[in-house]
Amino acid sequence: MNLSLMTAYVVVISLYVNLGIALYGVFARPSLVKKLLAITILSDTANAFAVLVGYRWPASGTPKPPVYTNTTFNNQTLHYYVSHAVDPLPQALVLTAIVIGLAVTVFIAFIIIQYYRLHGTVDVRKARR
Amino acid sequence: MMIYTPLGIVPLMLTFAAFAIPLLTLIIKKKWFYHLYALLFSVVALCYTAENFWLVVYGVKQPISYLFGGWIAPLGIVYTVDGLGAVLGLLIGIDMVLIVLYSIWYMRGEEGIEWYYTLLLLLESAMIGIVYTGDIFNLFVMIELLAISAYGLVGFYRHKREAIEAAIKYALIGATATTMFFLSIVYIYGTYGTVNMADLALKTRLPWITQYIPQATMYFAHLSGTGYGNPIVATAIAIALALWAFTFKAAVFPNYFWLPDAHPEAPTPVSAALSGLVVKMGAYATIRLLYTIFGVGSLIDASAAGGWSLRDVILFIILLLGAISAMIGSLVMIIQNDIKRILAYSTIDHLGVIFMGIGVAMHGVSQAVVAIALTGVVLHMINHSFGKTMLFMASGIYIKNSGTRDITRMRGIGRLLPVTSLVMVVGLLHLLGVPPFGGFFSKLLIYNALIGAGQVAFALILILSTAISMLGYMRIIVNLILPPRPPELIGKARESIPATTILSVLTAIIIIIGIYCLTGGINTLQAIVEPSTTLKGLVQYIDSTFSTYMLPK
Repeated sequence: MNLSLMTAYVVVISLYVNLGIALYGVFARPSLVKKLLAITILSDTANAFAVLVGYRWPASGTPKPPVYTNTTFNNQTLHYYVSHAVDPLPQALVLTAIVIGLAVTVFIAFIIIQYYRLHGTVDVRKARR
Repeated sequence: MMIYTPLGIVPLMLTFAAFAIPLLTLIIKKKWFYHLYALLFSVVALCYTAENFWLVVYGVKQPISYLFGGWIAPLGIVYTVDGLGAVLGLLIGIDMVLIVLYSIWYMRGEEGIEWYYTLLLLLESAMIGIVYTGDIFNLFVMIELLAISAYGLVGFYRHKREAIEAAIKYALIGATATTMFFLSIVYIYGTYGTVNMADLALKTRLPWITQYIPQATMYFAHLSGTGYGNPIVATAIAIALALWAFTFKAAVFPNYFWLPDAHPEAPTPVSAALSGLVVKMGAYATIRLLYTIFGVGSLIDASAAGGWSLRDVILFIILLLGAISAMIGSLVMIIQNDIKRILAYSTIDHLGVIFMGIGVAMHGVSQAVVAIALTGVVLHMINHSFGKTMLFMASGIYIKNSGTRDITRMRGIGRLLPVTSLVMVVGLLHLLGVPPFGGFFSKLLIYNALIGAGQVAFALILILSTAISMLGYMRIIVNLILPPRPPELIGKARESIPATTILSVLTAIIIIIGIYCLTGGINTLQAIVEPSTTLKGLVQYIDSTFSTYMLPK
């Protein structure tokens, strides 16, 4: 097993672990602020997954930015570009997802402040009493 | 080829209209302006959705498409509308006009009406975007837009503890669910190299569909990406993650717990919109995912996978979840005292019935039964949408007059409000499924489909849940209408003309649906929505997306 493939496996496994931690945070932690942090971890993990999919890794070896930088234009350079450039579409998807995630995060942060104003705590268990 | 502008303009127009309101608040302080503004744009949206409906069903007689920014199909975002999307778009248009009209009456004394209409127009924009879109990533964006505006509307009374708690519960679980849907799109993109629904529908069926359309391989081939990995495993994960989000949106069994808190705490017109329309979007997305993209002949279906069918397993799970949520909804409904909570649990019951209808289309079930099931599902969506809108509006009149939501403290108030009570009884009978109202026909169709598919146990559950839910509905009638008039409210409780007019319009719609079903309307509806399940309809769907550009021959 080469180094590149091993790194890919490590990254994927750590992303799955991240996902599990984030879900635990959302469902099991009593503090609303920690739930919000867990949600941002969750969406960042999903975004990292999307970028990783765009790398087509390890199929393409060393990935390059999706910009054609050669001044000459022939079959050989084009082939090199196509086989090495990362896929830009997942990055566009991630950008959109980040913007939406910002809106959701701001909304939840506001509503947690409002919750704090009404209950005097951000702990779900304490507020229930 | 033709690009149909009225398709793309509706969500864009509504979004711009919504975001113009915060700017307008700097100049215009008059409240009536915002009421009229929202009414104007919802009526314009209704006109556009009606035009799209006319184009799909009578004008062009096949699915129509719109390209955003001129980017051709698999590269850019494309809206593709078939009969199913057109019907639901029209339903959203009609229902939202009625809800805005009711809001003008109900929210007349409230503070912050401009923010309310910002969110309400965004909600409508997102719903129309969901039913029109032909791009699964755009579906995600629209679901997020729908979710954010719905969270905001649930927490609209931000000084009420319960409203903030409901909004926070809804928002936290909702953000998790939609992130899971994003992850599902990542899996789909990694596996198939595209996010366009028509392209996906083609790619998932590729070896199989060439028997029927020999030129299929060259449809999107010039522009579509390639994928990697094991497609079956990735598809299974993607569907599981996507259904997490869709069942959350539709409030079906494991993900239903937010609804009984969120829907009652919202302002009453919003409860009507949430229960009447927003939850249907989850069901619609499920239909798109399991009928159009991973439908008959796709790589998880039996005809491709050689006997063993993952799609049947998924559909059976949907059937089971639908049955469980129908039972939970109807059982919990009968012990509630809050009138809006009763209606909220009734929504869970009806969404369960809708999901039971969606789950019928397994391998080996004949095309006729599948068509009946989908017709029943769409008719039930229409019926439940109007019926639940009407019931929430009527309950809003009771709440305004009595100042409480507890039916045991509202005893006898129905006698003081005769028109509202009449509407309430009609709406409850309609949702219960009493002929000649429309609710009977949709439940009958779903029941017939379940029997036709051999799912007798589930057909019995449908009847059982209806029978149990009757107890819950009867409790409303018994508490509100049968006891003597409450003396302290005599002379104070009164019905206003605008609200009762809207309720009368809704009652008329329900009765018309019932009469229309009796006189052959079911066949018309079936002709409109059936293409979403057939190979011919699928080819038309792909064609309309593809034909927005034609490669030189």
